[in-house]
Amino acid sequence: MGILVARHRSAIALTALTLILSACGAVGGSPSAPAPTDAPASQPGKSTPPSSAAGEPNELLVLEWSGYEAEDFWTDFKDASPDTEVTFEFGDTDANILALMQGGSQADVFHFYTGWQQFYVDEGLVQEIDTSKLTNWDAVPEEYKALGQIDGKQYFVPWDWGFTSILYNTDEVPEVTSWDALFNEEYAGHVSMWNDGPGAVAVSAYINGWDETAITDDQLAQIEEDWKAQKDLNAFYWSGEYTDLCPAVMDGTVWVAYAWQGCYATALYEGLPVAYANPEEGRNSWFGLYGISADSDSPSLAHEFLDMKLAELTCSNAVNLFYYGCANSEVMAAIEDPILIEAFGVNDPDILETTNFTPPVTEEQRAAWTAMWERVQAD
Amino acid sequence: MLGRRGTLPFLVGPPLLWLTLCFLLPVLLIVVFSFRPETGPVDLLGPGGYSVVQYGEVLGTPAFMRLLGVSVLMALAVAALATTLAYPVAYFLAFRAGRRAALLLTLLLIPFAVSYLLRVMAWKLMLGPEGAINSLLETVGLTDGPVDLLLYSRAAVIVTLVYVWIPFAALPIYAAMQRIERSHLEAAADLGAGPWARFARVTLPLSLPGALAAFFMVFIPTVGEYVTPTLVGGSDGIMYGNIIQGFFTRSANWPMGSALAMLMLVLTLALVVVALRLVDLRRLAA
Repeated sequence: MGILVARHRSAIALTALTLILSACGAVGGSPSAPAPTDAPASQPGKSTPPSSAAGEPNELLVLEWSGYEAEDFWTDFKDASPDTEVTFEFGDTDANILALMQGGSQADVFHFYTGWQQFYVDEGLVQEIDTSKLTNWDAVPEEYKALGQIDGKQYFVPWDWGFTSILYNTDEVPEVTSWDALFNEEYAGHVSMWNDGPGAVAVSAYINGWDETAITDDQLAQIEEDWKAQKDLNAFYWSGEYTDLCPAVMDGTVWVAYAWQGCYATALYEGLPVAYANPEEGRNSWFGLYGISADSDSPSLAHEFLDMKLAELTCSNAVNLFYYGCANSEVMAAIEDPILIEAFGVNDPDILETTNFTPPVTEEQRAAWTAMWERVQAD
Repeated sequence: MLGRRGTLPFLVGPPLLWLTLCFLLPVLLIVVFSFRPETGPVDLLGPGGYSVVQYGEVLGTPAFMRLLGVSVLMALAVAALATTLAYPVAYFLAFRAGRRAALLLTLLLIPFAVSYLLRVMAWKLMLGPEGAINSLLETVGLTDGPVDLLLYSRAAVIVTLVYVWIPFAALPIYAAMQRIERSHLEAAADLGAGPWARFARVTLPLSLPGALAAFFMVFIPTVGEYVTPTLVGGSDGIMYGNIIQGFFTRSANWPMGSALAMLMLVLTLALVVVALRLVDLRRLAA
């Protein structure tokens, strides 16, 4: 009996240990989450006239991506409202940022990427932007403004943007003319795809000539099979452009990658033999958008923050320090660095005509495409 | 002055409260999430009801089940290797280190002072195409160029995890060996047992409970591991934990992620219970 009790005690102790260790393993420390940029050291800014935010708390909470809290990314606001306390909360994926907003985040301003606009409006998480409060709004091209509109209302302010295409090592790979280079068996072990279901669906849609806003079940099944086959060629699925992808491009592990122009510019500055394809199916382009929370206690301050995001120095920092495009067209037109001109395709007047802008996805598409991608990874 | 009964709530209360708030409640939430039918974040106060649809989806997806099996096998390999390699370390500390044992034990624990993430990143640098191992292989002429298999493979995940766990696994084995009465070994020697016989018939059986504890301490969290596979595993080294992470972050599909996590927890528990039934710790130690 005593032995039995002792055995049961050991079993209970080990069971408890199992639960605790399983929990540790499942939800333990995480590597730095995928962020669109990793911010280098800040640089002093210049002043821009402030707008009034009277009657509101002089503090602002911004739901951001790790790296974007660097002062270079909001230097004009810092100069305009030096007494405002700006704090940051972080999300690591678009899904995570949406989940934080749905979960009752107290953020006044939030930052996400194209494809996810509709969810914020449908769930009443965002308030309409009063563009009359934005002194830099005229510098934003109409087609960029349209990305932040739902049902004719301006809910979001477009800010950072860039291309997605195939980045390749010209010493190892001849000229790439199609997205199908990601599926070329000759580059087995040296290919890297972004770890993202909707991104994978978009690539397959481009290659097959399908409408990415109307992918059928059969097409999705085909996409899943294609990416499962591609897995054998893929070295790793990257999450962070500067944390995962760029180092592997630099050290020669990756020859062909789904990549944003930031890594391309970085590789060019390093003098690496790389090129950024203009696929016959067209490049992809994405936009970062800011929204003001429907529950914000500081809507005037939030408007001022977004206005200052579009101001000259802040936008210039995004372009010159982080190699990301900015919605202020005057800043983009003033680019003189030949590497950045090349990275943004500024010297190619036709490039936007052949570019596929990331469209909004529905809840059903998001669920189906992300689940498909997890099955590909598990295969 | 408080009696034994008076001190009990003060001793047990804080850890019990901590475990309840920070462990039991989150696990309970995961259980509840796993029975929600949504494909996005859960509003527990909202409509939606409860169903087993997520479990049906998980169990009906062969890729998930296969990956769970692979992850269990990888965890078994890591636990077996880490325990085996930690055993001589613990033996040396317990029986050979003498007065230096405390110092050596401290040295053994020094890696814990460095971030887990940094230690794994160090292995990424070691295994990379321009890393220490590839450089050595090229320098001594064994290879002409970088060996691709070193990084971004299941082998890389296992090697890195074994390295990470060895100091951790050595501790319970060392503790078990510390408890072995030296008089038992002297008696065995007096009865004519040689060094190998003393080890095989006294030290090993008496230290096995510690070795088994070490094995489980490595095996259980390794099944759900996702940090190391993310950093060094590449497409081939993905583990079940990566899929759970993916459903919670990339997909924001908390119910599916919760169902996957619960399945892993139940399977791990079942394996531990089966192992406990197969191995009678008290008889081993007797």
